[in-house]
Amino acid sequence: MMMKWSKKAVMTVLAATMSMGMFAATSSAATDYWQNWTDGGGTVNATNGSGGNYSVNWKNTGNFVVGKGWNTGSPNRTINYNAGVWAPSGNGYLTLYGWTRNSLIEYYVVDSWGTYRPTGSYKGTVSSDGGTYDIYTTTRTNAPSIDGTATFTQFWSVRQSKRPTGSNVSITFSNHVNAWKSKGMNLGSNWSYQVLATEGYQSSGSSNVTVW
Amino acid sequence: MGDIAMRRLSVCAAIVVLAAIVSACSQASSANTSPKSDTDQAKAGQLVLVKGGTFKSTKSNFYGNSITLPDFYIGQYEVTQREWIEVMGTNPSQFKGNDRPVEMVSWYDAVEYCNKRSMKEGLTPYYTVDKSKQDPDNKSEYDTVKWIVTINADANGYRLPTEAEWEYAASGGQLSHSYTYSGSNAPDEVSWNWRNAGKKYLSGDWNWPIIESNLNTTKNIGGKKPNELGLYDMSGNIREWSWNWYGDGLDNSSGALRVVKGGGWLGDVVSNEVSYRGKFEASGFGPDQGFRVCRNV
Repeated sequence: MMMKWSKKAVMTVLAATMSMGMFAATSSAATDYWQNWTDGGGTVNATNGSGGNYSVNWKNTGNFVVGKGWNTGSPNRTINYNAGVWAPSGNGYLTLYGWTRNSLIEYYVVDSWGTYRPTGSYKGTVSSDGGTYDIYTTTRTNAPSIDGTATFTQFWSVRQSKRPTGSNVSITFSNHVNAWKSKGMNLGSNWSYQVLATEGYQSSGSSNVTVW
Repeated sequence: MGDIAMRRLSVCAAIVVLAAIVSACSQASSANTSPKSDTDQAKAGQLVLVKGGTFKSTKSNFYGNSITLPDFYIGQYEVTQREWIEVMGTNPSQFKGNDRPVEMVSWYDAVEYCNKRSMKEGLTPYYTVDKSKQDPDNKSEYDTVKWIVTINADANGYRLPTEAEWEYAASGGQLSHSYTYSGSNAPDEVSWNWRNAGKKYLSGDWNWPIIESNLNTTKNIGGKKPNELGLYDMSGNIREWSWNWYGDGLDNSSGALRVVKGGGWLGDVVSNEVSYRGKFEASGFGPDQGFRVCRNV
């Protein structure tokens, strides 16, 4: 997510990814908290359902993120979800997404995507929850963050093949945390929000996801 | 002497404006600047004498430390775009406005400004900058500039505050009331922060897309209540560069990042606290990153 940078910044902020968007986060269960945002492009209709459910329909959007999760992330949480609908047309991720501070790290565990599979500096693989994920890092330079403008690292686990949707599945986040650690990728000590999100960028589509 | 009387006396003593500097700044003009009021002109360039001593604020990272700071001057306001243009000729800021703080400036840019302004005003530059080789003390993997910047400790020119000086001044020096933010325990009273710096007041958790769509910006200097020393915007508006390396200690001789203080309109409100130690590569820049100047007494 890029702010409207002046020319000086635009040259360096090329690692634009879909960071920090609309999400719902609660302290215990993924049911309570809802925010609604798009960057103004296209149409995003998001519904904050009950029992950890959310749905999104988007059309010709700019950039948006919708999700549900927890105010305070945890390296040991198993995130359960069921994506009853996952139908991106163009760029989109179905992903676990969150932040740590001190160190400032933005992390993703991407289970499925639309046309573009995210990538970065390859670090290895991790097997978890019936699939194999490629591990990448990327750097965001002079980008907005909860600490103000900062240059920070993004950690990625991206499933080698799109995960089937429509049934109850889990993301055992500790598997990723431990694999990242073994590659020298250490998350911070201070945990910000952690959500199971639908992200879209210059695309259309729909999703309906329940998180617990 | 009663507390109020004592405070008034001290404040009077503390706020010493360097008339020559005000004069120099108010006489300068630029084709890029629009007409300005006398009040605005008077704001530019004012330095406040901060009486030295040990840290009084119980909220400071330096409280209980044996450090005794000598007297120093510090800008009553963040360096404005008008002041920047007068010295540097161009304006890198994202949010344009003569009386807004300059932003999108790196630590190196700020060092260069200090020296250029010193020379313009007939002062001895405080910094020596060697651009011919890279600083071995700079451990940053992202900073590709890495100039070697050394100080001329006795020079009378402009310089960045040290982290200790910044925190001492922000916490009110000898007049400190040990506020969490510079001049108050209520952030909105003294700071432009992510909640109050846009179209409408934002509640809830920090969230960048919401901040962006709320059209948050920097604001003209001096729009909020000053602190105990009469300093404005020490908390909020833009983050301010300090001289020091960031590290576990409070006075590191090397590092990857420089300490930034006061937080701005973009980061979480915790970063607006006087004690918060922000950090950024010296080559980094952003629309929430500026500085204020200091001088030796």
